[in-house]
Amino acid sequence: MSTAAQRFLQDAAVKSADLMHREVIRRGMDSYDAAHLKGRARIKDWEAARQKCQEIKREAINHLDRYLLQFEEKVIARGGHVYWAANSEEACSYVKNLAARFGVRTVVKSKSMVTEEIHLSPALEQAGIKVWETDLGEFIVQLRNEPPYHIVTPAMHLNRGQIAQLFREKLDPAIASDDPRDLMAVARRKLREAFFAAEMGISGANFLVADAGVIAISTNEGNGRLCTSLPRIHVVVTGIEKVIPRLEDLAVLWPVLATSGTGQGITTYGTLIGGPRRAGEVDGAEEFHVVLVDNGRSQLLADAEQREVLHCIRCGACLNICPVFRHVGGHTYGTTYPGPIGSVLTPHLNSIKEFKHLSYASSLCGACTSVCPVKINLHHHLLQNRRNATEAGATKSSERMMFRAWRSAMLHPRIYALGGWSMRKALRILYGLGLAGSILDPMRVWNRYRSPVPLPSESFRAIWRKDRKQDRRKNLGAN
Amino acid sequence: MQRKVSLFIPCFVDQLLPQVAVDTVKVLRRLGYGVDYPEDQTCCGQPAFNTGYWDEARPCAEHFVRVFKHADAVVCPSGSCATMVRTFYADLLASSSLREDALALASRTFELSEFLVKVAAVTQVGATFPHTVTYHASCHGLRELKLRDEPLQLLRQVNGLTLIEMVRSEECCGFGGTFAAKFPDISGAMGNSKAENVAATGAEFVTAIDPSCLLHLEGILGKRQAPTRTIHLASILAHESRTNEAQKDESLPQERP
Amino acid sequence: MQTKEAQTEKAHVENASRDGILQQIRAGLRTAVPEPAAIGSERVIFEPISNPLERFQQECVSNLMECALTADCAASARQLSEVLQPLPEGEIFVQDDPSLRRLVEMTIELAAPTRAIRWSSEGAPAEAAQATVTLAEALIAQTGSILVTSACGGRGASVIAPCHIVYASVAQLVPDLATALGRVSQERIFDSNSFACVISGSSRTADIEKILVQGAHGPRRLVVILQTGS
Repeated sequence: MSTAAQRFLQDAAVKSADLMHREVIRRGMDSYDAAHLKGRARIKDWEAARQKCQEIKREAINHLDRYLLQFEEKVIARGGHVYWAANSEEACSYVKNLAARFGVRTVVKSKSMVTEEIHLSPALEQAGIKVWETDLGEFIVQLRNEPPYHIVTPAMHLNRGQIAQLFREKLDPAIASDDPRDLMAVARRKLREAFFAAEMGISGANFLVADAGVIAISTNEGNGRLCTSLPRIHVVVTGIEKVIPRLEDLAVLWPVLATSGTGQGITTYGTLIGGPRRAGEVDGAEEFHVVLVDNGRSQLLADAEQREVLHCIRCGACLNICPVFRHVGGHTYGTTYPGPIGSVLTPHLNSIKEFKHLSYASSLCGACTSVCPVKINLHHHLLQNRRNATEAGATKSSERMMFRAWRSAMLHPRIYALGGWSMRKALRILYGLGLAGSILDPMRVWNRYRSPVPLPSESFRAIWRKDRKQDRRKNLGAN
Repeated sequence: MQRKVSLFIPCFVDQLLPQVAVDTVKVLRRLGYGVDYPEDQTCCGQPAFNTGYWDEARPCAEHFVRVFKHADAVVCPSGSCATMVRTFYADLLASSSLREDALALASRTFELSEFLVKVAAVTQVGATFPHTVTYHASCHGLRELKLRDEPLQLLRQVNGLTLIEMVRSEECCGFGGTFAAKFPDISGAMGNSKAENVAATGAEFVTAIDPSCLLHLEGILGKRQAPTRTIHLASILAHESRTNEAQKDESLPQERP
Repeated sequence: MQTKEAQTEKAHVENASRDGILQQIRAGLRTAVPEPAAIGSERVIFEPISNPLERFQQECVSNLMECALTADCAASARQLSEVLQPLPEGEIFVQDDPSLRRLVEMTIELAAPTRAIRWSSEGAPAEAAQATVTLAEALIAQTGSILVTSACGGRGASVIAPCHIVYASVAQLVPDLATALGRVSQERIFDSNSFACVISGSSRTADIEKILVQGAHGPRRLVVILQTGS
């Protein structure tokens, strides 16, 4: 078992038993559920919307080179720069070099999961640059020195009291109120200084629009707006899979992203930026750099079954509905992307050996697939990952042996029947001796959380055979 | 000429919950179907398949296809097992010589409530069950077989039955087969959340179309010493009125000690 | 000064991984992936909008935006004065456009100027600006949005101050996002603007306990003065 898997098991055990944590998550998710339903009601034909979004992303991904090149050409024509980074190191180096070239001392960042993926902030901080997360949720977890809990609402695991305490410790001991409005005001005042002082603003991009050659960012707080309006240098860090063919595609993608992400009809700001400020414009960045990050995505294109995983628009709906996520929370996963999409994607971005356990940490209930706005067959991909792991020899040989033995039994009905009868008999004796849950009990894991399984004296097969022999139909209903 | 169906009884139902199979037969016979039980059936292969061991699952699936090759219709009192055949045999047996047979078999394989409502075209099956019942929407039946209404339609026609809706009835109970073995803490936590939702209804019974969910829930509820008992849909539908109501109903799941 | 082509060429040369990534993408795309059936006939995703003005006003309410209908310039000036008057001390930033010059003049005539005005031609809005006043490129009924571009006083104009006031006319109203975005494409907005934004309300956050807080880093108030006549 990989260390990541061990850590996951431990964290999951702790979080599963944490009823307070579960309550916080439940309240947050109830709020999302209600908002999401309202959001869905604004769309006349939700299934048609999902279908359309799936088609748009499929077209984009199936012609990824063409659309990326179209996007790049337009950005460069406007005086912007496009850098293709094969991996985290290259992406971080590029941004670091840019910062060094322009004497950047302060960076303001709006939320970007890709920057988490490539660990950009630590790289910049190592170079002596102060990085401010400006999305309120990200700002909060940055102060706590922990990763985001959820890709859309990074601080949903905290209550107002904890946040007020945090602000008192890190920002201003005089903070008296824990009202969310007052806490937002504190963050606003603090971050405003940073917005106006920073030499570089870093953002992500929800979409890269090929025909217009613009990036599209969907936000609510206005921090993304300020990051991309005030500093002299604007850097966009984005995955190569974010591209869409046309500007008009946003007419359905924007509402669907907002509905799935927060239940809104549309996010407050749908920002479109195509390059540095033009001559005659009042303001805007003088330097515009788009860093296209590959980091394993191009390899996923070759996977006929799982290419569609690249359709993900990072809305977070699968996290919200996942019962596993609701019970263990976002930090337990130990990956940049938690929840179902994280479990599917991470083995491809990192290693299957190290992260395959996430594909097993699912009951395959399929709720994720049912809500995905781009119709990714998430739970089937988890199954495929499991198969891929065994085919790659990444699973325990003892487990393989066990299934080989199981297979042999199942191919011989009489062995199966005898095996079943023996197991029931042995367990009846064991439990009769009061040894349920002991080291001798093969069902001890089951019995940790549940009362013992029933152990009937006859299997159905035996009942059926007896019934046929005696020609007595009483047990099985009149014919 | 009597219509005939072949029973597909999941391995763990055969071994641990035989009453579910007995009741399935009872319901089908009451509706006038001849019931056949191919005794050579063992397991559909789901445990190995779900754990990623497709090479080990494949021969079991092929055995299954051979056993049921001549069945007119296959009826199974389990959403997840019916799903295995209907949804996943195509992938699992994609390069098998039995691929065509598997696809043909899949089109003739039904979960019980699906069979009753869509094939037999009945919702009234002559059952009496004067108790309060809440329904857990098992995941495979709901999302793979798209059975949202069928079990409820049947329950609503049961004489004397009061259906109480559970909050988050479509949230997974946490069993998931392999998942319960590998991640027992999460599985237990999910089961307990479901048990809380069950308890909140105050219902005497919780039912579902998947015996694996019910096995797991029965264990969870038992550990909590909760009063609600689990009962499979087939057992409710098989239940008939007692001539003497005061007499203890031996056919019902026993109350917890 | 290098030619555009030379600049592009140089950029590509300095980006060692670019070709490798493109190669990998093209190689990956050679894998055949089954294409499921398309949506078929054009299913209607959004309810068609019969009364754009009514819909815009309804959406403004849900978006926590203010929309004031005015009959003519004089009424708009009165409206602007009403919005500005109670704001705290501090300058206001106004997009330098003839219609706004006229509007501000009329507003000043109503009440003597008590605060400084910075025009967009003089530079970007100050950090302490109490309000900004801009035009919009279009209004979108479906989502209760305003579409602004760099030409509408720059990027900061719609986000820096606590109050953003938009002076618009009902003639600018389009029914839906599809129409608005189509217009942006047709009119090649990005040929002359580095920035555009679809704004649908005041800034907000729900990052603390999922409780909605109006006014995060951007404006707390977004006011649309919507003039019906001329």
